[in-house]
Amino acid sequence: MFGRGAQLARRITRLMRRGAHERRMDDEMRFHLEMEAADLQRAGLPPAEARRRARLMFGAVERFREESWDARGLRQVEHALRDVRHGWRSLIRSPLLSGVVVVSLGVGIGVNTAIFSWIQAVTLNPIPGVADSRDYYLLQPRAAMASGAGQAQAGGTRLEMSWPEYQDVRDWVPSFEELIAFRTVPFTEGRSGHTVRAAGQLVSANYFSALGLQPRLGRFPSGDVVHAGEPVVVISHDYWQTRFAGADVVGSTIRLNDRDVTIVAVAPQRFQGTVLGLDFNLWVPAEMAPLLLAGSGELKERGMRAYSVAGRLRADATPAQAQGQVAAAMARLAGMYPETNRNVRADVVPYWRAPAGPQQFLIPALAILQGLMLILLLAVCANTANLMLARAATRQREIAVRRALGASRSRIISLLLTESMLLSLVGAALGIVIAFWGTTALRAGPMITAFPIRYQTDMDGLGLAVALGLGAVCGVAFGLAPALQLLRSGQSGSLRVGKSWATRTKARGALMGIEVGLALIVLVAAAIFLRSFGETRDTATGFESDGILLAAYDFSGRGVDDAELRRLTDELLLRVRGLAAVEAAAIARMVPLDIHGMSVRPFTLPGRVRSDAAVDVSTINVVTPGYFTTMQIPLLTGSDFVDLKDEVAPPQVIVNDEFVRRYLEGVEPVGRTIQFGDRMYTITAVAATTLYNSFSERPTPIVYFSYRDRPSAGGELHVRTRPGGELALAPEIRPIAYEVDPLLPIYDVRTLDQHVEKNLIFRRVPARMFAVLGPMLLILAAMGIYAVVEFSVSRRAAEIGLRLALGASAARVVRQVMRDSLRVITIGAASGWVIAFLIYIHVAPGEPLDPAVFAGVPALLLLVAALAAWVPARRASRVDPMRTLRLE
Amino acid sequence: VTERADFLQGTLDLLILRSLALRPLHGWGISKRIRQLSADVLQVNQGSLYPALYRLEDRGLVNSAWGTSDEGRRIRLYTLTAAGRKQMRVEQADWRRFVEAMEQVLEGT
Repeated sequence: MFGRGAQLARRITRLMRRGAHERRMDDEMRFHLEMEAADLQRAGLPPAEARRRARLMFGAVERFREESWDARGLRQVEHALRDVRHGWRSLIRSPLLSGVVVVSLGVGIGVNTAIFSWIQAVTLNPIPGVADSRDYYLLQPRAAMASGAGQAQAGGTRLEMSWPEYQDVRDWVPSFEELIAFRTVPFTEGRSGHTVRAAGQLVSANYFSALGLQPRLGRFPSGDVVHAGEPVVVISHDYWQTRFAGADVVGSTIRLNDRDVTIVAVAPQRFQGTVLGLDFNLWVPAEMAPLLLAGSGELKERGMRAYSVAGRLRADATPAQAQGQVAAAMARLAGMYPETNRNVRADVVPYWRAPAGPQQFLIPALAILQGLMLILLLAVCANTANLMLARAATRQREIAVRRALGASRSRIISLLLTESMLLSLVGAALGIVIAFWGTTALRAGPMITAFPIRYQTDMDGLGLAVALGLGAVCGVAFGLAPALQLLRSGQSGSLRVGKSWATRTKARGALMGIEVGLALIVLVAAAIFLRSFGETRDTATGFESDGILLAAYDFSGRGVDDAELRRLTDELLLRVRGLAAVEAAAIARMVPLDIHGMSVRPFTLPGRVRSDAAVDVSTINVVTPGYFTTMQIPLLTGSDFVDLKDEVAPPQVIVNDEFVRRYLEGVEPVGRTIQFGDRMYTITAVAATTLYNSFSERPTPIVYFSYRDRPSAGGELHVRTRPGGELALAPEIRPIAYEVDPLLPIYDVRTLDQHVEKNLIFRRVPARMFAVLGPMLLILAAMGIYAVVEFSVSRRAAEIGLRLALGASAARVVRQVMRDSLRVITIGAASGWVIAFLIYIHVAPGEPLDPAVFAGVPALLLLVAALAAWVPARRASRVDPMRTLRLE
Repeated sequence: VTERADFLQGTLDLLILRSLALRPLHGWGISKRIRQLSADVLQVNQGSLYPALYRLEDRGLVNSAWGTSDEGRRIRLYTLTAAGRKQMRVEQADWRRFVEAMEQVLEGT
């Protein structure tokens, strides 16, 4: 294999330097003759005779020169190059056709490569900056379902590991090279009055060394430093650039959760931490948790499950072996610490399939998108094959002449394949450009969430290989059809024109049908994406987003207790409401239409009996009094939550009318109680149903808790002002927050409209893609149909002319041509429709069919197809019959 | 000589490899050496040496590079590669088997 490659390389370089080699041959031969002559002269021959004898003994110089050329295997290379030159010329001769083919292939290959590189970024390179990160596995603990009734934990069976567990397990699973532990923690960074929120990870001492990272600056903390409990931090490359302007920060001190911490290193540029898709700012040793997190006992308590544990498998270990060892380790822990570990198991999961993170919905979505785009590429190939067949028909004479002059079949096939390979490789080159641009699309869309999300999508060698591979496959796919066709006709038809129209158009008709079918599938998908994106503009959300400013804050890591949280939050709200421009303000844990979706919790309604064993669950949110006024969500009955400072009222919830419709039909909801966990809550009001997670969701039940009953360290300020005045209000929020608490970080200040818009990225990107691809595909299909019909009528010109001469009306001729083409097109479209329908009910089970899509798209496609067939049919019917007859 | 040339054609490769086994040579040197080693029995059609040489070079069995002759002339020197040396051994063995077989046949009649 390698030898072959080296040989080819040698041949090509030689061919490039043909002149040099001819000179070399001449030199050598001349030198040979001179030496031989001199030798003979020494033997006693006169000079002239010696030269003559030398030439005689050498033989015909020219012949050997030719043979030498062949000997170097240059003949084949020469042929190939001539094919390329010839192919290139013939493509240039039909620039429109070549242009259409190159652009459509380029787009098809480009979108496929871009999507592939997105998928690759998640699955093959899940930890940017870490080599071979696809070999990393997570130890994912879960609570095994207890067999006894009442103990079953619905839904949330996924757990994390406690620090002491990690310390134990670390030495019990030899299949892993080394296990690291990490957990996500938000930090407040900066001094009083100048705080920002930083996304951080608490990590084990071996974290950086096990990941094989080299610091950009400084040195990663050694085990000694960590175990001595010295307060150190490693910051990310981005944080270094944005917050410290790339200054020499190693050795300097920053305030982290109001403690002095020394920066010891800057992480390498690409490294962003070890939670899939999240972009962390800094890393601190887990040993510092008690210092930074207000005396947290997480290093000692087995019940505090907060750490993720991961590692790379040894080269000789299998996931199954690792799973066995992990299971044994967890069983051992269960025996040693029954009260915390009795029902805890753990699974070995590939890192990129981590159950937490945005990839959960991203990967399936991308997989569907990739599938659709491959169908699109197939449609483009079918279309190209059609166009190439039509073009090849005009070259039948050329091929026949070549055959007659003795060109072998394989030479002609290789000539034609070279042409289509050229086309598709130019297309692939364009595709690579498009893919380069496309891979930045995900990077360019920063999403506002509790933690910054970032995917490092890149076009690398694999991406390029995919693009070129797709190009090569396409080239063969659409190049083979015309080549075979030409050969067949070259054999039988030789130099004659016409003949046996019917058999040959069969293949072409089939191709046309396939193209239409494939195009219909993609167009239906495009219409669904576009409509669902368009709906977001029209759908009533149920709340009034105009005029709402959002700002996130976070008290976490400071050891503030619930009572203090209530007091601080109340004061924050009080001051915000005191601003002149503010009409209303409230706090909620979660903002609707967020990319992560809202939490879901199980509940029980006293008196309600389910027929099956499953548990009732509901979407939840936690809000302060005034939330419904601020969002302008009507309360249908009942009244708002009691004040945050109220200590008398029992725990309260507000439900929406969808909740009432589903679970409380026919009873007075206000005053009823619901049980969450072991706490009872009283319903105080019913709110109108609004949108919570997506624009396309069906009415969803929700339970709002009062912040008074469930205070939390972090939250989102919702501030209502007059529409348009949100951004003017934005700079006033931060100073007010510092008045309440000089260390309180305020972040992600944005309007509710911006929030919704940003979080629509996963709808917007495909919608934009389809907005370009849909019309392109429609035009391509029209061109393909036009080419096929045009070709077939030109082949039937004699027949049509005869019929016209015999008195057939032009309209009748048009009708017949149209009938033939539309039959194939309709069959193709119907098959495509059925496939699209099957895909739809598989991907979106239970969703209603959108008649505008499933009827409108085929109608549009058939209309365009009919038009594309009508134009050439009509032209054929207008020819002068006598002229065509004479031609025959 | 001409009848023998065809017969020799197949073995020319082996002769060239063999003549390069000791040290690098230029084209004429190779032809001279073949004649010397065979006491002038093997008269290679000298021109056909070159296509054969180029073929061997294409197959990676010999290398060539510019050098200088004793008289200071620019000459193309051919060297046996490792692959060439191996190929030579294989062909030598084949050849010996062939000769033995021929001997047996000739003695048997």
